[in-house]
Amino acid sequence: MKQGKQLQKGSYVARYWQLYAMMVLPLLYFLVFKYVPMLGSVLAFRRYRPGMGPFGTEWVGLTYFSRFWSDPAFWRAFRNTLVLSLLNLVVNFPIPILFAILLNEVHILPFKKVVQTVSYMPRFISTVVVIAILGELLSPSSGIINILRQQVFSKEALYFMNEARFFRVIYILVDTWQYTGWTAIIYLAAITAIPAELYEAATIDGASRTQQIFYVTIPSIMPTIMVMLIISVGRLLSLGFEKVLLLYTPDNSMVSDIIDTLVYRTGLANQNYSYATAIGLFSGIIGVILVSSSNALSKKLTGEGIY
Amino acid sequence: MKKTLLVALLVLVFLSFSLFAAGVKETSSGPIAFSVFYSDNATLPFKGDWLTVTEVQKRVNAKVEFEIIPIVDYQTKVSLALNTGTNAPDVILYQSTKGENAALSLNGAVVPISDYEAWTPNFNARVKEFGLEDDVASLKLKDGKRYFLPALFDVPFYDGGLILREDLLKKYNLSAPKTFEDLYQVLKVFKQHNPTSYPLTILAGPRVLYRMTMPSWGISLGKNGASGSNTLSWDYANKRYFAGAISEQYKSYITYMHKLYAEGLLDPEMAEPIDGDRWTQKLATGKAMASYAYYDQLGGVTANSTIDGFKLQMYPALAGPEGAHHQPKSKTGSGILFPIKTAKRADFEQLVRTVDEMFFSEENAKLWCLGVEGTTYTTQNGKVVFVDEIRNSSEGIYKSLQVKYGCGSDVTQMVWVNAREMTKYDENYARINAEVEAMGDVIQAIPPTPKFDDRMAEEAGTLQTPLFDAFERWNSAFLTGSKSIEKDWDAYVKEMKNLGIEKFTELYNANL
Amino acid sequence: MKTYRTPSSLFFSFVVYLVMVLSLAVCLIPFLYMLSLSISSPKAIINNEVFLIPKGLNLQSYIQIFTYPNFFKAYGNTFFYTFAGTAISLMLMILFAYPLSKTRLKGVKFVMRLVIFSMFFSGGLIPNYLLVSYLGLTNTRLAMLIPFAINQFNLILLINFFKSIPLDLEEAAIIDGLDYKGILVLIILPLSTAALATVGLYTAVFFWNDWFHGLIYLKSSQFPVMLFLRNIVTGTSMVGDAAGSGDKSTIAISIKSAVIITSTLPIIILYPFLQRYFVKGVMIGAVKG
Repeated sequence: MKQGKQLQKGSYVARYWQLYAMMVLPLLYFLVFKYVPMLGSVLAFRRYRPGMGPFGTEWVGLTYFSRFWSDPAFWRAFRNTLVLSLLNLVVNFPIPILFAILLNEVHILPFKKVVQTVSYMPRFISTVVVIAILGELLSPSSGIINILRQQVFSKEALYFMNEARFFRVIYILVDTWQYTGWTAIIYLAAITAIPAELYEAATIDGASRTQQIFYVTIPSIMPTIMVMLIISVGRLLSLGFEKVLLLYTPDNSMVSDIIDTLVYRTGLANQNYSYATAIGLFSGIIGVILVSSSNALSKKLTGEGIY
Repeated sequence: MKKTLLVALLVLVFLSFSLFAAGVKETSSGPIAFSVFYSDNATLPFKGDWLTVTEVQKRVNAKVEFEIIPIVDYQTKVSLALNTGTNAPDVILYQSTKGENAALSLNGAVVPISDYEAWTPNFNARVKEFGLEDDVASLKLKDGKRYFLPALFDVPFYDGGLILREDLLKKYNLSAPKTFEDLYQVLKVFKQHNPTSYPLTILAGPRVLYRMTMPSWGISLGKNGASGSNTLSWDYANKRYFAGAISEQYKSYITYMHKLYAEGLLDPEMAEPIDGDRWTQKLATGKAMASYAYYDQLGGVTANSTIDGFKLQMYPALAGPEGAHHQPKSKTGSGILFPIKTAKRADFEQLVRTVDEMFFSEENAKLWCLGVEGTTYTTQNGKVVFVDEIRNSSEGIYKSLQVKYGCGSDVTQMVWVNAREMTKYDENYARINAEVEAMGDVIQAIPPTPKFDDRMAEEAGTLQTPLFDAFERWNSAFLTGSKSIEKDWDAYVKEMKNLGIEKFTELYNANL
Repeated sequence: MKTYRTPSSLFFSFVVYLVMVLSLAVCLIPFLYMLSLSISSPKAIINNEVFLIPKGLNLQSYIQIFTYPNFFKAYGNTFFYTFAGTAISLMLMILFAYPLSKTRLKGVKFVMRLVIFSMFFSGGLIPNYLLVSYLGLTNTRLAMLIPFAINQFNLILLINFFKSIPLDLEEAAIIDGLDYKGILVLIILPLSTAALATVGLYTAVFFWNDWFHGLIYLKSSQFPVMLFLRNIVTGTSMVGDAAGSGDKSTIAISIKSAVIITSTLPIIILYPFLQRYFVKGVMIGAVKG
């Protein structure tokens, strides 16, 4: 039990000792399970030789960093990652919010519950199967979409899954389908916390339903939205690896190769953990920069941030 | 007197000590216990009570703890165990010393089993029997030692290849193709009669097509290219590597493939993997009539087709500019590895002898292949005849033996005798294999792996990936016609040279 | 539920319901497709006769799955990991989130930075593995529960929810003599049912789906069901790592579909049960404005 320094009446720690006590166990957990393994990042600066210890055998300084720094394939992957991530953010960030708001406006309770449950089911279909089903739908020879194109619109069949220009669209739309319902849960929870009095007041003031959304709902869940936004921005460099890998073909590789798939391919060829760790460190640093800047921005604009 | 007594006493004590020590060396009669990593294929899930598993443990007096690991993650788990040296089992199955394992072995994480030849008499006997001394010797790494006990094949078999609709050949009065030119003509006829079809389709992905057909042009490239280098090929005549990806042979190959593609004879969907179900669909409904695939899969397609007279047949390799060749195969395969901590066991010798007997002895080789005489088969007039239940099963002898009894699994069967294997297939398969063998040199050996230490391996790796990526892109572009072979070939060669393909070739050749 | 029946309100309702019905269709149809695939005969599937209505009723796929070696044991493991894991995780997260929601408390900013920083850097597979091994957790079921008990993302969400509870309630409670422990239990938690349900659901799904940690830390008798099922669905896929090894053996889409359905059904039906928590927490003696 943390009794604090001295049990002086009004001493800071003495007053709040319970709060600190609550933090002890989780903090310990964090230090042990999240920070101790970070020591392994030193591998980015050492040469790793399989079977000769997990921390490498000798210091090589920035060799691995300069390796990817000067590799055009890396920068292409970096650019692809950013572009895909930003597009994904722009499209798939607002959609779950909208969905949650609209769902909240459904007043037929049984219907609402059904939609709520069904909407998050896509998240559970393994990505491998999703892409397989998509492949069938978009197949140039037997897929429904192309059959429609040919017979109804008299257009040529397109091999969607293989063309570079469709890759991003497909990726983003699959993401929408998979995660909208899932992510909306958070916003739904936030919306239910809005006091009914606010809506009543707005109704009395003569606000229409759309106006109520803009003036009550959205401002009330703004803290949640900002938190989600900051986190999403911070994760800009981490994309759905498995999904990209499944959609990757040599023909669309110029846009579909992302950092993670590049590391996977390079790593797979020669189990170069040092190289992978170096890239990981680099991505991590960028992530921290992104989070801090978006947090600072959010604080300036809305007064709230995550720290 | 006293002195002699003392000496006698000392001798007695010494004698009894040595006898005691010898007695300790003599292992107890209880079963030897050890743990094993097993790679589990979902199509034949491991069963602890498989006849083969229980029987073999009885025969060698061992108690084996099997760690069942899904095949798709097997490499991850093995790599983790060997890299960290913790939680490794005593024996790891289904491994070779390619890639990371080579570095791990050279750095001391794996037992150099060739040092313990005296303890693997059964393995040695099989090697001699099959005449594989050279093949096995070539598995030695840079330090001159071999680090695993490979699976042994006396003759590689032709388990997959060109598959055509035999009924259509008859219908359109075509003879079985012998060269790739013949194939082109056959496909054209198919297309004529079925304009909306794409006659030649592929299973899984273009890599299956490539690895089965490229050797007839003298090259082997791509994801599963024989050398593992993706862009280099082996010159069998001169016994060295050459830059296959930029060779004239490849140019000729891709020109042929492009022709097929441009005329609508090749399935345009081949860039995306075509999984088993869709492939079956295409063939069974007649949307495709030809493919490169595995014999095992024919039954499934035929059984489910509703087309009258539907018959699929497998054909020997077709002849291209460099002769008729199929995907190269090795006479040695993935086998048994011992993590270094196993060598520290007091009963290490007994363990090695037990493992050796378990997988390589004559009787146990038969066990893993055919099962138990009396239970799964009987010998009549010197021929193996399987019991009715197996013979009449709907999935075929081979599959039923695999799933029910654990026979014929890549992971546990180490000794493969072609003639014995043929008894598990129908006569058709045996006939085809015989035909292929008669053609001579259809299935060439796999090119030798260069002996790298881990620094060179790293260097090779950094060259390999960009070259492979570029090759894939250009290959796909040439195939579909988005890049022209006549006009853009030189640009392609230039790019590959810029990426260091010549240096890569040298690196390989210098370390053979 | 006062709804003004103005034309704009009706139009608005129309739009809402249209969107919902479309979403329903888009999400449900693939599932129904898979369901019908899983109970159709292979012949019908191969001849392209199956879409939403199954053809040739065939329960073979399900029978195959249920007789897969160790299937039920693995299922049991998964249930254990999910329940125990979620319980431990929630406990730790609540203990952490409450103090961290008090931004003015000394040291909170620093700890938050620690938490966020750790979201971007990890040591990689091998150091984590060695740590767990060193602590003696490998090959024990605890290895699935403890090392990933706190997911920073969920933690931040919870902190955010706690922050939104009006401070006046706390202050009133302190005046009444309640200590922080009491406030947490008697005031904060009851008001955060929606948040707890959300974070709990997310955590439960994480544990339910986790196959990777099971693979590297556990013995095969302790494997969760996802590993087996992944082997079936991904192990015979034609892409990525499995490619090459899977070429010779294929598993019908009907089995893969049945696998997906059996492995996800329990967690899917968890949500409707939690939906009743998505209501405003009961305000005890709410302080007026």
